[in-house]
Amino acid sequence: MFSSIFTMVAICSLWFVAQMLFLGGLAQERSQDLLYAEYREQLAAATAPIEPGTDPGRPVALLSIPDIGLHQVVVEGTASGDLLAGPGHRRDSVLPGQAGASVVYGRASTYGAPFAELADLTAGDRIDVVSGQGSTTYTVRGVRRAGDPLPQVLEPEEGGLTLVSGERAGWWSALSPGEVLYVDAVTRKPFPSAGSPPGEALPESEKAFAIDQGALPTLVLCLAALIALTLGVIAARQRWSTALVWVIASPIAVALSWMSTDVVMRLLPNLM
Amino acid sequence: MSRRTTIGGGLLVASGLLLASLPALGFETVASAISSTSGPAAAAKDGYSETKTLTRVFDNEGQPLVVDERRVTVKVNRTQELRGRERIRVSWTGAHPSAARAANPFGEGGLAQEYPVVILQCRGLDDPDLPAAKRLSPDTCWTSTRMQRSQSVVPRVAIWQQDLHATAEDKQRQSGMRPWPSGEQCVDITSFATRLTPFRAANGTVYPACSAETMPPEAAVGAAFPPAEVAAFSDAKGAGEVKYEVRSNVENESLGCSDKVPCSLVVIPIMGLSCVDGADARECRQHGRFPAGSSNFANEGVDAAVSPVYWWARSNWRNRFSVPLTFALPPDACDVLDPRPPVGFYGSELLAQASLQWAPAYCLNKKRFKFQHSRMSDKAAFKLMENGEAVAAFVSGERERSGDDRVGYAPTGVSGFAVGYIVDRPENAGEFTDLRLTPRLLAKLLTQSYPASALGVGHKGMKGNPLSINLDPEFQALNPGLDTISREAAATVLSLSESSDVISTLTAYLAEDPEAMAFVDGTPDPWGMRVNPTYRGIDLPTDDWPLLDTYVPDVDQECLKANPAPYLGQVAAPVNTLRAIAEAVLDAWPNVQTRCDRPTPTDPWKLGRIDRQGMGARMMLGIVSLGDAERFGLRTARLQATGPAKPQSRFTAAGRVFTGPDPVSLAHAVRLAEQDETYEPFTISQTALRRKAKAYPGTMIVYTAARLSGMAKADARTVAEFIRIATTEGQRRGFGNGQLPGGYLPLSRTGATGPLLRSANQVAAAVLEQKAPADQDDDPSDDPSNGNGPGGDDDPDDPPFPDPSDPDEPSDAPSDDDVPSGSPSASPSAPDSAEAEPAPGSTPALGSTWAGRLLPILISVGLVASVVAGLARAFSRGGDH
Repeated sequence: MFSSIFTMVAICSLWFVAQMLFLGGLAQERSQDLLYAEYREQLAAATAPIEPGTDPGRPVALLSIPDIGLHQVVVEGTASGDLLAGPGHRRDSVLPGQAGASVVYGRASTYGAPFAELADLTAGDRIDVVSGQGSTTYTVRGVRRAGDPLPQVLEPEEGGLTLVSGERAGWWSALSPGEVLYVDAVTRKPFPSAGSPPGEALPESEKAFAIDQGALPTLVLCLAALIALTLGVIAARQRWSTALVWVIASPIAVALSWMSTDVVMRLLPNLM
Repeated sequence: MSRRTTIGGGLLVASGLLLASLPALGFETVASAISSTSGPAAAAKDGYSETKTLTRVFDNEGQPLVVDERRVTVKVNRTQELRGRERIRVSWTGAHPSAARAANPFGEGGLAQEYPVVILQCRGLDDPDLPAAKRLSPDTCWTSTRMQRSQSVVPRVAIWQQDLHATAEDKQRQSGMRPWPSGEQCVDITSFATRLTPFRAANGTVYPACSAETMPPEAAVGAAFPPAEVAAFSDAKGAGEVKYEVRSNVENESLGCSDKVPCSLVVIPIMGLSCVDGADARECRQHGRFPAGSSNFANEGVDAAVSPVYWWARSNWRNRFSVPLTFALPPDACDVLDPRPPVGFYGSELLAQASLQWAPAYCLNKKRFKFQHSRMSDKAAFKLMENGEAVAAFVSGERERSGDDRVGYAPTGVSGFAVGYIVDRPENAGEFTDLRLTPRLLAKLLTQSYPASALGVGHKGMKGNPLSINLDPEFQALNPGLDTISREAAATVLSLSESSDVISTLTAYLAEDPEAMAFVDGTPDPWGMRVNPTYRGIDLPTDDWPLLDTYVPDVDQECLKANPAPYLGQVAAPVNTLRAIAEAVLDAWPNVQTRCDRPTPTDPWKLGRIDRQGMGARMMLGIVSLGDAERFGLRTARLQATGPAKPQSRFTAAGRVFTGPDPVSLAHAVRLAEQDETYEPFTISQTALRRKAKAYPGTMIVYTAARLSGMAKADARTVAEFIRIATTEGQRRGFGNGQLPGGYLPLSRTGATGPLLRSANQVAAAVLEQKAPADQDDDPSDDPSNGNGPGGDDDPDDPPFPDPSDPDEPSDAPSDDDVPSGSPSASPSAPDSAEAEPAPGSTPALGSTWAGRLLPILISVGLVASVVAGLARAFSRGGDH
């Protein structure tokens, strides 16, 4: 009994870690493939969004930083759930590539960790953005951490791009993205912004290190489903052989745990 | 879709470090290269003067016959550390008197003249020891049209072939370029002789220059910058002078002059070609058709042998004076060379030209911080500084405080505004050089009281007003001899659209003048001109000039019907930077937005900016900063310094004194500055200025305003360091990094600016201390004489610092010699800021303990639990056993 409890705790924790670091990466890569296909189609059809108001989770730009080998589709929205699929465009800023300040959030350690190597960027590095209006090349001005001076004010004809992620700091640095990290980049030739982004409409859950409490009801459902599965397995064991039951139950268990972990991720800070 | 999930590998860290160190290495080498080149360049003597004897020789049956010989002296006032669009003065004596004067001597407009002096900017130096790529030649000289480069004419008039100095290659039918461009590029007419002078761009591209399409992109029709190369006119004695606008690689990439690519100014006094003997050389031996000093408005043909068309022909080219030029660092040098985050000083644009030269002295010195001046309205900048979002602000006057922290004002620059102008005298007589303006004339311009054109005549309450300033009898009385053609651009003075201390000083100047105020309040001027009723009684001074007029002319024009706009507001069309005004005056391109235009007849009409004014009929005025005026060589109006105490019924120029901006008149104005309290700004009251005829009314002092308490230590050190450097090293005249350009009066220990410098030192010390008690500005115990004269240093409230205001203790005072360039205490170093609390104006600390700890905790719990479970199982199994 005692050992079973600890086994369960160990399985839960390690599954969670595994999903955050490895399985989530697979999921994110899959999402990126789908998003890339979708965005490519939109670009070809010239229907890619050029003004605010895209649904959260839909692609809005392609972001590539050759110096750190980053190539990602940026989705709309910065809630924890949106960032599971890839870097997210903060909805109260202009779209990447446009005149004005654009902000993109991305995860630093989990779910593919697209912004893991952001801190390696140095002033002068190139950031390429392909958006519905065309491609834009930004030049990195520098990496900024808490306490550093704010970047210089943008000229009216300039476009700014700020990449935001967690900084790996403190003990066990690779896995603890607890501090905020900004990378400021600027372009001299932005595209005109097609409309002003909604002002104060940004929900709490889409700010840096915010969590999305809207995921709680879903979590309850997922956990209920897990309990139901457990009961089902116990009941089935009475009638059929163990091997048979596990052959049938394992995929369901994995799928349900996967889903639950995804939901739990939404309850965790969005930049980790 | 490639992606890396590597976490924290040692290899990665090592390569990251390597990558990070690479740019740092590059920066070192670039920075040292710059310091090594700018050192001797800055030390080299500025200016140029050379005398040469030029001859025109005809060959008569083997005997050279000198038909003309002249000793020509060319002088250039500035040749070092030039910046893009800066205008330098080129003067000469002893040249052949010019004839057939063109209205517009720039670019191709100047080709139909005789005996002009051709001035060009060319890449490279005229040094035979240099490799060919770095030497100048006609191929590296910039011209904005192909007519100035290449000729294709019938052989009879191909006079370059009859040139005495022509080589065998020059005498061929096609010459100037090998290999010859293809027939698609350059159409070849076999019966014509063709000479190409291709243009070799800085990037190596060679443009054959045989048609408009084969010219460099900067030479396109309607290019961003008007032509700078000029065929200038010499007077009857052979003397002349022009202001030549130099271009850096920012304005002209193909020409490509920069701090790394040296260039030259080439001055070719046209003497006429030297010619060979023979009947074919008749065209070459011409002496000109026009009498010396004549004009050629009709653009009639001239004798080619004495025209500027053949400046590249051998005998003209060998007569050249080559003036080596050096260029200063580009404006974005600091962004490129210094990866550190800049410390933003926000505020007054009056300091812009000084900061342009100051910034490299900070960013190229690793012991200093990276200084950056961002232009912003004085009001907004002060707010930012008070909120702590900026460390300091540049303002030029006292501001109301909203916070509790006391603010100190350190005088940093003495400059001001001017009314810049470009006005041509009629009959091609050149530029008008002495414009005089009264406050009332400025009030008339600012209040939009000139109807500008027939469209504004219907405006209520302005019936009978002259259409533009040159039709105003008051203006004519002060500035006689100008034309009386009405123009929209002459009905306004291009001004600032946003709040600025320049506007408050300008309007305070108007408010102090009884005539101007009487006019604004509704009294007509002696000729019956009335103020625009929408501005009548406007409150002056103001820091933000409003656009009040709403008159929309009711005319039956499709374009105006489609774009109803207040007409006089479109004429005034203020802009938001003084620099934009200065460039508009430089280009004689008014910002009047009344041009009706549409790309095609099916497109809707749009209102846009009118065209550049044509040479010979230019007239526009603008409010410019003295720094810009000096840099671009703009003419500045003399403003009425003293005038009648009461509005007169009959206007007389007698009793009025007009004073222009120069170091002397600025110093006279600064002598009038008074300071009420230590750390407070000085005020130059317009009342006092009006009593002093020699003082320039547009004088302004720019202060570095910073909080005296409540600032983070590192920031306080930065600001104090800046004030000390700016008031010592930054006040040395010159055009090198860190020096003070023209248009500013240097602060010095002695003389008119002495009190200002002492006050700056006091503020620097107080900023560093950060001990000023909050809200103490009403304390009457403060000695008001403290900043104004020597000996006032007994104030107990003074910070315990060696008071530099005491002239008896020069050794204690921060003098010019101990500029804290290397002093570690004054430089903000990154390690220090780590222990200080995060500075205001800096990135806020955001973070999440959850995000930081979750993964490590989960992994630990998982590992511990699995170990415990394993042990428990083993234990229970052991127990079972």
